[in-house]
Amino acid sequence: MEILSLNLFIAALRLATPIALVALGETYSERAGVINVGVEGMALAGALTTAVVAYFTGQPWLALIAAIGVGALLGALHAIWSVYLRADHVVSGAAINLLVLGFALFLTRVIWGWRGTSPSAPTMDAWILVGVGLSLIGLSQVYIFRTPWGLRLRVVGEHPRAADTAGINVYRTRLVYTALNGALCGLAGAFLFNNLGRFTDGMVGGRGFIGIAAMVVGNYRPLPALLAAYLFGFVDALQMRLQDYIPSQFSLMLPYVLTVIVLAGFLGKAQVPKALGKPYIKEQG
Amino acid sequence: MRWIKEIGPVAGAIILALAVGAIVTALTGYSVPQVFKYLAIGAFGGRYQLAQTLTQATPILFTSLSFLIAFRAGLFNIGAEGQLYLGAFFAAWAGFTFNLPPVIHPVVCLLFGAIAGAVWGFIPGWLRAKRGANEFVTTMMLSYVAINLTSWLVAPGGPFHGTQWANQTVRVLTSAQFPRFLRGAQLSWGIVVGVLIAFVVWYLLFRTPRGYELRAVGQNPLAAEYGGINVPRNLILALTLAGALAGLGGAAEILGTHRRFIELFSPGYGWDGIAGGLIARAHPLGAILAAVLMGALRAGGQAIDRAGVAPADLAAVIQGLVILFVVAPELIRYFQRLVRREKLGDIES
Repeated sequence: MEILSLNLFIAALRLATPIALVALGETYSERAGVINVGVEGMALAGALTTAVVAYFTGQPWLALIAAIGVGALLGALHAIWSVYLRADHVVSGAAINLLVLGFALFLTRVIWGWRGTSPSAPTMDAWILVGVGLSLIGLSQVYIFRTPWGLRLRVVGEHPRAADTAGINVYRTRLVYTALNGALCGLAGAFLFNNLGRFTDGMVGGRGFIGIAAMVVGNYRPLPALLAAYLFGFVDALQMRLQDYIPSQFSLMLPYVLTVIVLAGFLGKAQVPKALGKPYIKEQG
Repeated sequence: MRWIKEIGPVAGAIILALAVGAIVTALTGYSVPQVFKYLAIGAFGGRYQLAQTLTQATPILFTSLSFLIAFRAGLFNIGAEGQLYLGAFFAAWAGFTFNLPPVIHPVVCLLFGAIAGAVWGFIPGWLRAKRGANEFVTTMMLSYVAINLTSWLVAPGGPFHGTQWANQTVRVLTSAQFPRFLRGAQLSWGIVVGVLIAFVVWYLLFRTPRGYELRAVGQNPLAAEYGGINVPRNLILALTLAGALAGLGGAAEILGTHRRFIELFSPGYGWDGIAGGLIARAHPLGAILAAVLMGALRAGGQAIDRAGVAPADLAAVIQGLVILFVVAPELIRYFQRLVRREKLGDIES
C-alpha cells in the first residue's frame, strides 16, 4: 500500500496538533470543573485573529500572540458566564460558538469583502507550532500531576468546597484555567491558519469537538489525550489520501465517524471530575 | 402574569444585544440609524417582507423545537443541522418517487423526513443512554456525516444527481408541494405545520405522562430513576423526537421553499435552532416567537445587504449577542437589581 508511507505518519502528527491543543486546553478547564464546548468558536477566533493581524502587519509572530490573547479573552468570557453568572456550561459554550461564527462571517466581509474567507497572508512554519504544542503537553503532564499548583487545580474540580476551605479561590482558579483553555484554542486556531495560509469559516470543521473527544478518551490526562489526538490526526491524514480512491464525501466523514465510534467504545472508563459542570456557590457570612 | 416574568429577562437580553450590536455597527464604520431602519423594514415593512421573515422562521421553528425537547430531558442536540438535511433529502425522495394524491402526498413526505431525522437522533440517543457517549459531541459529529452523505447523494456520480448544472435532485411532484400564500413569495403551509407541531410538542411535554417523565429526567435523573422512571429509555426517546422534529423542518423546507433537495441548502438553520430554543427558554410556544425573531434577523439582514447599508452577517452578530445575553439570566437580574437599588436605596443588603 503506497498510502501507508512515512509521510502519512508525519502528516498525521501535523494534523493532530490542533486537536491535541484543544484537548489539552479542555483538560485544564474540565479539571477545574468547567465544561467548555466553546472550543470550536475559540479556535475559529484564533484563526481569524491570526489572519487579520498577519495580513495587516505581516508579522506572523505578532499574529500568534494576538490569537492566543483573543482565545484567552473568549475563555475568560465563558468563565464569567458559567462560573460567575452560573449559565449552563454547554449552553454558554454553544452561544460563544454561534457568536464567533457570526463575527467571522461579518468581519471577513467588512475587511476583505469576501464572506467567510481571507486572502493569503504571511505565515510561519507550522512545524514550530507542532513543537510548541508537544512541549506544552509534556510540561502539562508534569504540572497537573506533580506540582502543588496542579494539585490545587484538581481539587477545585473534584471538591470545590474543600478547596475553598483550604483557602483556594475557586472562582478565580476556574477563571484562570478556562482562560488558559481559550488561549490554547487560540493557539490551535493560529496553527490552522499557518497550516493553510488563509482563513475560511469552515476551517475548524469540528476539530474543537474532536478535541473534547480526545480529552475524554485520554481520561483527562495530557499525554494519553495526545495519543488519542494522534489517532484522529492519522485518520484525517489518511482520508486526504483516500480521496483518490473513494468519493471525497465519504473520506471526509471518516474522522467524524471515528470520533463517534471511539466515544461509544469508551464505556464509562473516564474518571470525570466530580464537580464538573456544577456551579459553586460560596457560603455567605 | 407568570409569562411576563418569563419574557422580561428575554426582552432585556434582546435590548442589551441590540445595544451592543449598535456599538459593533458604529465601530465597524456603518451607520447605526440606517442599519436599524433597514433591519426593521426588511423584516416587517410590508406583506412581502413579513412573508420573508416567516419563510425564514419556518425551518428555525422546527430546529428550535428539536433543540428544546432534548434540552427538557437534559440533553444537548447540537446536530439539528444534519438531521434537517437527512429529513430534507428523504422528504424530497418521497416527493419525486411516489405518485400520490394531494394532501396525502405531502403528509407521506413529512413522515419520511421525520423518520430519517428520528434515526439520526436515535443513534446518539442510544449511544448516550447505553454507552455514555457525550451527546453534544456525537450529535455534532453525526451532523457532519449527514451533510456529507446527502452531498454525495446528489453529487455527479451520486445516485440522485438530478440536474446537470447543479448538485440537486429533480423537482418533487406538484402533488407533494405545500401551497404558497402569496404570489412571488416563498411563504408556504410549512409555517402552519410548524405552529401546529409546536402545539403538539407543548401538549406532549406539559399535558402527558410521557412529557412529565421526559422533564423529570431532565430536572433530576437520579430522582427520576428513584421514582421508577426508565431514564435510558427517556434519553433515547428525547433525542429521537429531537431528530424527528429537525427532520420535519428539513421536509417542510423542501416541500414549501425549494421543491427539490439541493446540496448545502441550509444557511445554518440547525444552529439557529440552538439559539431559538434557548431564547424561547425551552418553551414550545415561546419557540414560535423566538423563531420569528430569528427569521426577522435573517430577513432584515438580507435587506441591509441589498440596500448596501451593511453586510447581512451583521444580523448574525446580533443574533449571537442575543443568545449570549439570554443564557445568562443572572446578568439581567444583576441589571434589575441595579435599577431596583437606585429606586429603593440600598435596603436589600
